[in-house]
Amino acid sequence: MGKVIVITSGKGGVGKTTSTANLGTALAMIGKTVVMVDADVGLRNLDVVMGLESRVVYTSMDVFEKRCELYKALVKDRRVEDLMLLAASQRNRKDDIKPEQMQEVCEKLKQEYDFVLVDSPAGIEQGFRNAAAGADEAIIITTPDLSAIRDADRIIGLLQNQEIQPINLVLNRLSPALVKKGNMISKNDVLDFLNIDLLGVVPEDTGVIASTNRGIPLVHNAGSQGAEAYMRIARRMTGQRVPIPEMREENFFSHVANWFSRNK
Amino acid sequence: MENSIVKLRGYKDGLHLIINPKVSLPEIETAIQELLGEMNQPLAGTSIHIDMRPPIFTSEDLNNLETHLTEKYNLVVSGVNVFDEENESPILAAPATHSISQSLAADNHPDFEHAHIVRQMIRSGQTTSCLTGSVIVYGDVNPGGEVVAAGDIIVLGALRGSAHAGINGRLTSVIIAMELIPLQLQIGSYVNRPPIGEKPRGYPEIARVGAEDIIIVEEFIKF
Repeated sequence: MGKVIVITSGKGGVGKTTSTANLGTALAMIGKTVVMVDADVGLRNLDVVMGLESRVVYTSMDVFEKRCELYKALVKDRRVEDLMLLAASQRNRKDDIKPEQMQEVCEKLKQEYDFVLVDSPAGIEQGFRNAAAGADEAIIITTPDLSAIRDADRIIGLLQNQEIQPINLVLNRLSPALVKKGNMISKNDVLDFLNIDLLGVVPEDTGVIASTNRGIPLVHNAGSQGAEAYMRIARRMTGQRVPIPEMREENFFSHVANWFSRNK
Repeated sequence: MENSIVKLRGYKDGLHLIINPKVSLPEIETAIQELLGEMNQPLAGTSIHIDMRPPIFTSEDLNNLETHLTEKYNLVVSGVNVFDEENESPILAAPATHSISQSLAADNHPDFEHAHIVRQMIRSGQTTSCLTGSVIVYGDVNPGGEVVAAGDIIVLGALRGSAHAGINGRLTSVIIAMELIPLQLQIGSYVNRPPIGEKPRGYPEIARVGAEDIIIVEEFIKF
């Protein structure tokens, strides 16, 4: 039996959907069976980021209202084995779903898949409650800015009330150069503040924008810093011990140093 | 926030609601609604003084105003000051003689030694309170989190949120934290906040009401 993990943040725009798409793809790449559930009813995006928009025929709403079987609503990603998407309805609103319906679907999915990743909407209202309803564990995505960290703190409190455990942190869009200059909150300060376990750090990577627009998750493009970070996180999610590397700063000198070390 | 009918000012003995008594009570209530509606800090539980110039209200009007403030905004009226027309000093400082203020007199609960212990950190949106004694938190209090106690507040971690000790008016209450970098501190009716951008000092600190009637913060060595 697999587990249901809700991917959430409180604040919008910190990378929940991007992280869900990349972690889902990365887990499938390392041989796990994965289904990604878009819980952002009315503002669905996961299908777009995954490049599966045109193949969505049925949505989770059709499943909840018994218009179609659960397995029929799952869209298969043809680029990797065993990666499915359950899209959200765009015509409905978040209050049209009850937490129990979500719970029931998650319960069924985890019987057959290793990982059920639920992409939560921003906010702490009904949409978030639905997304968290069926979750066993949670991954909090935050960026190193104060408002995102505050919202993450609020969300952690709410998840703890629901006894969702463990709650792990992914620190997204960290820029080592800015931290060094003292213009960005450091990883350690974020961890000190939120007091939960760190699952991984994803560096700022401009490749994300291009990959979102093309509908190809970053992890397909092996070698980029972001892709490698997501692959490491996926391995940690499967229980492997992968150390979190200290982020290096990318500048002229590090390029020169890399070039020399590569040519040794 | 300028309002010709009512003004809210903070003095060293707490918040004062300054009222122009030449207008009728309903107008004053509307003006209060406008004034308090604009404030983003919740004032619930705070005690305030009413300041006014002659002509003074009838005691019935005053009574109605106090009830209004208590019921609608959960404010505690701790006194009524009447000012001279010309000068700013009060000529008559009449203590409010109504049941609300009396029931909230300081040290009403002798049981301040009793403490509520919180064995986890307090995150944004979470509140912990003990209305009969003190609160001890085994962890941090993050911004957006709030601790309220009738007695003392002790945080065995970083206090980054808000703390209100002595909520019933016990001014001997103290707030102690391993790292005291709060958004706001209140002891009784006194409010204090550290300068913006304050960094942790690296030692425990204590906040208490000092001789000057302001909240002072100093290194906590021993009591």
